[in-house]
This record gives sequence, structure tokens and C-alpha cells, in this order.
Amino acid sequence: MGIAEILQKYGQNYAMAIFETLSMTLLCFVIAMGISIVVTVMRVSPIKPLRLVGDLYVQIFRNIPGVALLVLVAYALPNIRIVLPWKTCVEVTVVLLASAFGSENFMTGINAIGVGQIEAARSIGLTFTKTMQKIVIPQALRSAVLPMTNLLIATMLTTALGSQVPLNPQELTGLVSYITTDSTGLGILPFMISAVCYAGFSFLLGLLGNHIDKKVRVLR
Amino acid sequence: MSAHTTSMRDALYEAPGPRTRRLTAILTIVSLVLVCIGLALVVRQFYVTGQLDAKYWAFFAQWSTWAYLLEGFLGTLVVAVTAAGISLVLGVVLMLGRTSPIMPISVVSRVIIDFFRGVPSLLLIYFFFLGLPTIGLYLPPFWMITIPVSLAASGVLAEVFRAGVNAVPKGQTEAALSIGLTPGKTMFKIVLPQALRIVIPSLISQLVVVVKDTTVAYVVSYPDLMQNGRVLITTHDSVVSVYLVTAIIYILVNFAINQLSIAMARRSGNPIISRTTENPT
Repeated sequence: MGIAEILQKYGQNYAMAIFETLSMTLLCFVIAMGISIVVTVMRVSPIKPLRLVGDLYVQIFRNIPGVALLVLVAYALPNIRIVLPWKTCVEVTVVLLASAFGSENFMTGINAIGVGQIEAARSIGLTFTKTMQKIVIPQALRSAVLPMTNLLIATMLTTALGSQVPLNPQELTGLVSYITTDSTGLGILPFMISAVCYAGFSFLLGLLGNHIDKKVRVLR
Repeated sequence: MSAHTTSMRDALYEAPGPRTRRLTAILTIVSLVLVCIGLALVVRQFYVTGQLDAKYWAFFAQWSTWAYLLEGFLGTLVVAVTAAGISLVLGVVLMLGRTSPIMPISVVSRVIIDFFRGVPSLLLIYFFFLGLPTIGLYLPPFWMITIPVSLAASGVLAEVFRAGVNAVPKGQTEAALSIGLTPGKTMFKIVLPQALRIVIPSLISQLVVVVKDTTVAYVVSYPDLMQNGRVLITTHDSVVSVYLVTAIIYILVNFAINQLSIAMARRSGNPIISRTTENPT
């Protein structure tokens, strides 16, 4: 079977899978950004227990393998009576993983500003709020563009975890394993279609991120 | 602020006055109480659902359980080390291709690098597990997991190596060429050895990604830590405790690798180049 027949038979599945992958990516990334801002604020706050919780959160979720977290959310949580729909399980997993890396990116952005700038800001009489507002946050956001682009791409690749639980409709990776078992003799073409989609989206997102970064980069 | 302030987190605040200190103390206590309540709720949920029962945890007191998990961990280790080795070689080859002055080689290498960086490792694993058999190519489970993990890592490593090569001062190349070394000799004798030293911390931190990718080995039924954990679950009928313990083992191992890479980076003064810091295109 050639590529035309595959697209004729499974074209709609692919379209839906692409939509699933992209919408899940976007949703997870936005929520993860929100959480990573909260976690980062906790980590730079002067309140020790909050710092500790923030650091622990990041260390746990940046070091746990995605599959190990997914099986905990999808198969262990029901045992303590927390039952989530399959799709939510995948989304929760992706958000937890992405937010840990997001917070790391923000911390790197903040650390790159340098103590000297804060001291300079204070010596010209800026208050804490003004220092944050005028010095820290703008620079941290600008230098976070490139890492966050990479995180967005990584988030998309992480949604492939959806292939490990029964989703309906499936995302791009789960769809391929479904098609390959559904009809034989397709060879490696179904894989190539999904792979080209992923690689294409990664490439486009990379271009976009680079473009934005060039405009807002802080030259040091 | 005092001169020995080192971290940005501390530099953000002025030396607190009595009122701020009191406020901080109150908030500290409040947040501590909230954290404790949160923990207590989690433990309570475990308790009321019976997950703290001895039958779910007793088998962790037996040596055979740990021996079995250790066996799985060794499986993980073998896959991770083999994949790391393959991806190192592939990464250098792809980087050399990408920086090659010969246009077609450079373009092809770039496409390969972007492809492996832009595709989920799970899809690669399914390709080797489900895709290749459809065209009559059957690999042993070990290679069905190791090859895709290596390929996924090699794309990122190629970019890490490229950053390393770029970090070697241009004068080194110019000096080498001017004393009559060929471009090839310049690369292998002068630039690459220095670039390798620069990227050592980054290579160690990439090991974490490789270890994480190996967890999908159960897809191809290769006995790694995760797969052996799943077997334990069926023999002891205990999902929560086993998955928790395996997850904690993975977290500790990856944490240790990360700390090692941070320590190496600090000692050598070379930054950690990772997927998140490299240029995406």
C-alpha cells in the first residue's frame, strides 16, 4: 500500500491525531507555564518551607521518567480513590514534567541577571517591587524565550506518552501503533507520516522561537 | 546586602527590618503548617484506602524483592550505557557532518539531527518494535530498545558537541592550520579533544535523558527496572507501593547523575549545554 492509500484510509485519523497532539501540547504548556511561575516565586521567596517545597517539586519532576510518572497517575492513583479520565492522566503527567523544567528555565533566567544589577537597582533607590518589575522580570522573560521554545517542543514530544494509555481519539504516536496492528503490510510508512509531522512541527516552533529570541534577546 | 551574597534568590531582598522579620516568621509557620496538613492528607488517603497495609509493603523486607529490582536495574544500566556509547559515536559523526564544508553532507546531517531531535523517542521505539518487523526485520528486544534510545540521544548530542566545538577559541584552529596541519588533523588533534573536555558536564547530564528513555523497555518486554517492577506488581498484587518505589529509585539515580554533572560543571567552569539551552534550529 502506498502513501496515497494510507492517507485515504487513515487520513481522517491522522488529522484528528495531529489536532490531539497539538491541542494537548498547547493546553499542557500554558498550564505548565502558570505552575512554573508559581513554583519559581515559591523558590525565590524568603519563606523557607515554600522554598523547600518548590525545590523538592522541581527535583522530583525533572528526574522522574515520564512513563514512571504516567503509570503512577494512571494506575496507582485509582488505588487511593483518585480516578482520572485517561486523557487527563496524560495531561497531568505532561504538566508536572514540563512545569519542573519551566521553573528551572526561569531560575536560570533570573540567575543570569547577576547580583550586581540588583545591587545597582537598590542603590539608586528602587523598591523591591520596582526592582522586580523593571529589572528582574523583563530580563528573565526575555532570556527565557529560547529555553521555553525548546520546552514547548519537548512538551509536544512528551505528549507521545498518550500512546501508553487508551485514548480516543489517539495522538500521533498511539495512532501509529493502532494502524500497524489494525492492518498489515503497510510497512514503515505510517511511522514516517507521524515522524515527519512531529519533526516538522518541532522545526517550525524552533524557527518561531529563534525569530522572537533575536528580537528580544538581552545582549551581555 | 553583604558582600558574601552568592545566590540571586538572596540578593533580591534587603536585610529585613523587625516588622518584615516578624512577617516572614509568621508566614514561615503558616506555610509549614499548610505543608504538614497537606502531607497528613496524603498519608490519610493512603491509610483509608488500605494502601499502608502490611501486605503491600512487607515484601520489601525480603531480600529477593530487592534482588529482583536490582537485576532490573542492571538491565536498565546495560541499556543506558550501551545507548550512551553508541550515541556518543553517532553524535560526533553527525556533528562532523553538520560542520563539514561539503554542502550535501552538511545538509543531510542537519536533516538527520533535526529529525532525531524532533521525534519522540517513544515513536522511534515503536518503529523498531512494530515498524521494522512489518518489513521482515526482527531485532532482539535488547536492540529494539537500545537503538532507538541511542538515535534519539545522538541528535541532541550532535548539537551539544557542536556547541563544544564552537566554544574552542578560533585562534586554536588558525594556529593549527598555519603550522601546516590539514583541516582533518586540526579537527581531530586540536579542536575535538578540547571540545570534548568542555562538554563533559553536558554529556553526563544527557545520561539522565537516556536513563529516562530506557523506562519504555517494557514495550519490548526487555527486563529493565520498570519491567521487573511490573512483574512484582502481578506477583504481589500491589500497584501503589511498587510503582512508588521504582519511581523513587529512578528519581534518586537521575538526581545523583544531575548533581555529578553540576559538580563537574562548577569545577571545570564549563556550562551544561542541554536540550533547553541549545539553539532550536
